[in-house]
Amino acid sequence: MAKKIEGSPGYAPGTRVSTKDIVQKKISYSWWEPEVQYSWSMGQAMSKFIMGLKDGKILGRTCIKCDRVLVPPRMFCEYCYGPTDNWIELKDTGSIETYSISYLDSDARRIKDPILIGVISIDGASPQHGFMHYFGEMTKEEIHIGMKVKAVWKAPKDREGAITDIKYFKPLKGGGKK
Amino acid sequence: MTFLEKQTDPTTPMHWNGDMQADYFYSNGVAGDKFFKHLMKKDTFLASECPKCGVIFIPPRLYCEDCFCDIPDENWMEVKSQGIIRANTTAMIDAHGDPLEEPVIMALIDIDETDGAMLGRVKTEILDMDLCGLTVKAVLRPKNEREGTMKDILYYEPY
Amino acid sequence: MNDVAVIGAGMTVFQRRLKETGKELSYLATKMALEEAGITKKDIDMVVMGSAPDAFDGIHQKGENLLDGAAGAGKPYVRVFNGGGTGVFAPIAGWWHVASGVADIALVVCEEKMGNCYPHPQTAFRHIWDPILDRPLAPNLVWLFAMEMNRYMTKYNIKKEDIARVAVKNKRNAVGHPCAQLPDEKITIEDVLNSEMMAWPVQRLDISPPSDGASALIFCSKDKVRQFTDDPVWVDGVGWNIDSTMWTNRDLSFPRYVANAARMAYKMAGIHNPRKEIDFAEPYDPFDYKELHHMEGLLLCNKGEAPILTREGVTERDGNMPMCPSGGLMGVGNPIAATMGQKICELYWQLAGKAGKRQIPTDPQVGVGQAWGDIMQMATVAVLRRG
Repeated sequence: MAKKIEGSPGYAPGTRVSTKDIVQKKISYSWWEPEVQYSWSMGQAMSKFIMGLKDGKILGRTCIKCDRVLVPPRMFCEYCYGPTDNWIELKDTGSIETYSISYLDSDARRIKDPILIGVISIDGASPQHGFMHYFGEMTKEEIHIGMKVKAVWKAPKDREGAITDIKYFKPLKGGGKK
Repeated sequence: MTFLEKQTDPTTPMHWNGDMQADYFYSNGVAGDKFFKHLMKKDTFLASECPKCGVIFIPPRLYCEDCFCDIPDENWMEVKSQGIIRANTTAMIDAHGDPLEEPVIMALIDIDETDGAMLGRVKTEILDMDLCGLTVKAVLRPKNEREGTMKDILYYEPY
Repeated sequence: MNDVAVIGAGMTVFQRRLKETGKELSYLATKMALEEAGITKKDIDMVVMGSAPDAFDGIHQKGENLLDGAAGAGKPYVRVFNGGGTGVFAPIAGWWHVASGVADIALVVCEEKMGNCYPHPQTAFRHIWDPILDRPLAPNLVWLFAMEMNRYMTKYNIKKEDIARVAVKNKRNAVGHPCAQLPDEKITIEDVLNSEMMAWPVQRLDISPPSDGASALIFCSKDKVRQFTDDPVWVDGVGWNIDSTMWTNRDLSFPRYVANAARMAYKMAGIHNPRKEIDFAEPYDPFDYKELHHMEGLLLCNKGEAPILTREGVTERDGNMPMCPSGGLMGVGNPIAATMGQKICELYWQLAGKAGKRQIPTDPQVGVGQAWGDIMQMATVAVLRRG
């Protein structure tokens, strides 16, 4: 235990372990690799949205009471807490709401070529309504908030009913420059 | 609230499949490290005795959960790796529900000279489903193969 | 509602990986808090455990696993959890145990062992995303904060160097904290701006480190508090609020849920003008920009004004409105729930005049602590007052 110091906390209990301690087996430890599989029901709204992507369409849902066009769609509006009303097909264009240039993969491993990632507000939906996706055919110098973009789809035969049926969003012609 | 749109197509809603993959490192802890390092060299267990209430913990602990005080080093002791079965069960299927080639007996074993118990596998020719009261001792891995985990205790056998 | 005082606090050292198990860490923090309060386990009526996702420790239902180290065996005991908000929500739950009158003395223990998850705690964070819309894109949690930070910077035209000042201030403040993981007396703005780019605009030194650690806090009713102290620190108000899960449908430039939680806490505390009536704050700072974002959310300045006040030195320990005098998550470390140590234990230590080298020199009377979590949507706030 560390020696008593003035003020609180008066000491700092705990024993640091370094990677070296683990590699050199200075401490004993146990290891577990869990194997669990899941099957998540997509539910009514998301199933239709995902099937829409397979057909090359972005579908939204309207809430007449709140005057909202919801993307991603849901069967209920979380604000008025009533059922939503109608399906609506939207354009596959939008604008960049925000973005990041990532040098990390999903396990925080470093990558050399950065991933351009962000949120797209879909045209025809309510303001700031859209989803996260990749960006392509633009450099990290060109990307900016407010940039007009358009979906680049996988070939119909390659689509599987997934968010990744859109490969990425590219600059909309004439809207790609700052 | 009911949804206004009725679902009529039985092929929807769809499902999305995935996993929750992550691997885990568990430090055996300050007390656990001492216990397992001892077990790597010796064929006995370590236990620790609360200086206030006298309860002897196995697996040993740094502190008494009732008196909420430290258990100092001088209250640690070596005990034989043997005990008496308090409760047991016989598994016929594995974790995935598939039949096991041979049934596995798991038991909670009151360790001699302590107030604690350890969970372990039992190997015995006794066919009785109730093994309570049976005296068993630990069979450990050969010393050069021990790694400082519970797997170093292979199983318990009657003696 | 009964008045509730704080009579003791404790915390372990925060490090990337600690040898102690979660139970052992809980014990060490709890023991320190009991010592400070001058009580024993039998004086505790009820226990609240705060710990974030099971996926970090890798022990499901870890509340049950941790309870014997948290003095919970044989007591009314409950675990509460709302992601990063837990570090302030657990003390809120401890507060209501006493405020409601069901307990006279309640112990709150918070624990996290992020070092268990391999190859990186990020792997566990991967599982908090929506499995259908987000996870197929293989997201990293840093992306979320990078996107929020970008939105905030762009909307209010904030320079990165003004955000980097927060990292510098907090890592320097942490020098006075015996439990700190990343104190740095000599760090400069240039160090932050030149550090490795993780996910633009987030660089390595913009992020607090993942950690192992535990903290503990003891609440006492007004009826009993005079047995323990003549100069109590009171919990004056608490608030919590959560925004829509549909994070891609929200404007990320202002955390309105923090403002909602703050208004709830200020109303309970009778605070009408937080900028004048609050002397210092411990806003949640897992990233440097979050301190600024939360300062604005806590209504301690105008939108977009926090970076300017930081540049002017207002938020330094000896400034008019000190922020994160503990060193925050940026300097002391970020074992999610256990950051109660910086966010609420620190308020207590500062208001009781016990903060030692970290003590704010201007004799603070009122402080606010806040935590934040889930998918940029949860806010938990508590106001503490001296005397």
